[in-house]
Amino acid sequence: MSGTDIVLQDVRKVYYKDRLEIPVLEGLDLRVDAGDFVALMGPSGSGKSTLLHLIGGLDRPTSGQVRVGQAELHRMSERQLTAWRSRHVGFIFQMYHLVPVLTAAQNVELPLLLFRMPARQRRQRVQVALDVVGLGDRMDHRPNQLSGGQEQRVAIARAIVTDPDVILADEPTGDLDAATSSEILDLLRLLNSEFGKTIVMVTHDPRAAARSRRTLHLDKGVLDREELHAATPTGAGA
Amino acid sequence: MLRLAYLYRNLTRNPMRALLTCAAVALPIAIYVLSMSVVDGVNRFLDNSARQLRLAVTHRSSIINPLPAGYRAKIESLDPTRTRLLSVCGIDWIGGKIEGDPRPLSTLGADHDTFVQTFPEYRLTPEEIAEWNRDRRAIIVGAAAARQFGWKVGDRITILPSLPPYQPMEFRVISTAPRAEDPLTLWFHRQYLVEARKQAGWEEERVGFYFIKCASQADLDHFRVAIDELFANTPDETKTQDEKAFMNEFITQQFNLPRNLTILAAVTVFVAVMAAANTMSMNFRDRLNELATLKAMGFRGTLISAIIQAESLFLCAVGGLLGAAGPYVAFNHTPLRDFTVPLIQQLDVRAATCGKAMLMAVGISVLAALWPAWLAARMNVVAALRSLE
Ligand SMILES: Nc1ncnc2c1ncn2[C@@H]1O[C@H](COP(=O)(O)OP(=O)(O)OP(=O)(O)O)[C@@H](O)[C@H]1O
Ligand SMILES: [Mg+2]
Repeated sequence: MSGTDIVLQDVRKVYYKDRLEIPVLEGLDLRVDAGDFVALMGPSGSGKSTLLHLIGGLDRPTSGQVRVGQAELHRMSERQLTAWRSRHVGFIFQMYHLVPVLTAAQNVELPLLLFRMPARQRRQRVQVALDVVGLGDRMDHRPNQLSGGQEQRVAIARAIVTDPDVILADEPTGDLDAATSSEILDLLRLLNSEFGKTIVMVTHDPRAAARSRRTLHLDKGVLDREELHAATPTGAGA
Repeated sequence: MLRLAYLYRNLTRNPMRALLTCAAVALPIAIYVLSMSVVDGVNRFLDNSARQLRLAVTHRSSIINPLPAGYRAKIESLDPTRTRLLSVCGIDWIGGKIEGDPRPLSTLGADHDTFVQTFPEYRLTPEEIAEWNRDRRAIIVGAAAARQFGWKVGDRITILPSLPPYQPMEFRVISTAPRAEDPLTLWFHRQYLVEARKQAGWEEERVGFYFIKCASQADLDHFRVAIDELFANTPDETKTQDEKAFMNEFITQQFNLPRNLTILAAVTVFVAVMAAANTMSMNFRDRLNELATLKAMGFRGTLISAIIQAESLFLCAVGGLLGAAGPYVAFNHTPLRDFTVPLIQQLDVRAATCGKAMLMAVGISVLAALWPAWLAARMNVVAALRSLE
């Protein structure tokens, strides 16, 4: 029960389209302990992104409970969720979503604008984050001067610069070739093992999933299967 | 620093769009400044008229229909002591041009014996008054007209009237009216016009209109009614109104300048709002993914709205500054300073008008960003991200 574990209980998520109910998650239970690295797999449309959004406080369940650390997300208002996200989660998306007109360093600095923090300290944090992802020498490059893999590294730096407990990644390697994907996955593993980040990663790629500690399979609105890859060393599994 | 960098980079992200938007705001603001400067000029002119306690007597049917010459004596008989009704001055407008120069003049013939008392705001010197009374070809030219045409006291000038007798008339400048409010009008002896017309074959003497100087507001109110009663049920009934109403009617009949200019200004400002709003909406749509990402990171909707508002404000403020400063500099510090508007005044572009225009620009920026800012405030991150997949 220590740190930031993630607990979902009997979570239902229903979308409505023209008064038609589209149930996506139906009584889903999930527990991710602090410091775990979970891969989430499942067919397209099975609700992986939806689940990730619920864990990240971007969306609220139709019913059921979502607890991340001390925060009971299902009870929180939009505004509270927004404030909570800025401190506790880092998002990584398939398409990076960097601001094209800002440099790598400026992109990474953006989330720090939400904190009261002297400029010097912000720069220091940005430097550390970019060093961690191996782009300490690309601070002043614009996204269009970086490769896809490098852009995703910048996005990862941006996700960790606020030092969140949880990192949520939605197909972070979906747009990258195998070699680059492998580097990004190494980086996520590093964040998990060295920095103790709890990571939930949605992926379609079994090789990517195999690099996590365990893989959960989502189908028909519930988690129906789990695989452990406990001892997989860096780079193996593939 | 990053906040400013972000604002700046966003604005220069699409430099052509930003530039065009600035121009689309600057131009209407400039039009607003110019229009309002004219309207203010008209209002100052009318306010000056109101201070003069003068009545204007015109033909009831139309301002262009002249009145019998004998009306002056009849009006004067309403107050033989000349204590309440101070003076009556018959006036004829002949417009006019200088040979070979297309610029129109506003030339008026006035009864020379009552002109000085009826128009004391000209503050002529005793020497000028002496010259005015001595020379039947004397002409007083407005200061701006004198500057435009390069006239000095003592110059002989020839004016071609726009009305009968349609033949060149010679004058001698006896004053350039340096202390008058009205910088454009030219005044000469009406008697000279009567004689010129007689020579050219126009026998009957009629007078365009009469101006009457009253001693007080009460007298003004009294004679406004009394004069029309005096001529009631005659072939030439009169319409008497105070000078402000007369001028106002004259201006509105001729061009309805204040109203049309106000409409023009409003329409162009509306165009500016639409142009800027279009830009802000495009900016919003182009950056939906970025803004959704910001929101996912924990930027509040209101903060994202503020980013959009700030961009809009910056664009419109630059446009507004250019649009307001342009006319201000042009009409205060370049030869355009001497530009005149027909019948009214010099175009006096005042700092206060420019200040108001800047406020308008701020208003434009708020309106322009209203819709995208509202969308941003209530943007659903999940839906926005999904729409980009
Ligand atoms: N706003 C919405 N209105 C209606 N249906 C929705 C809405 N959002 C999501 N859905 C539906 O919910 C289901 C789950 O969507 P979700 O994006 O979570 O799936 P996913 O597992 O991430 O799929 P993919 O692998 O393709 O990314 C889909 O069938 C989708 O059509
Ligand atoms: Mg998905």
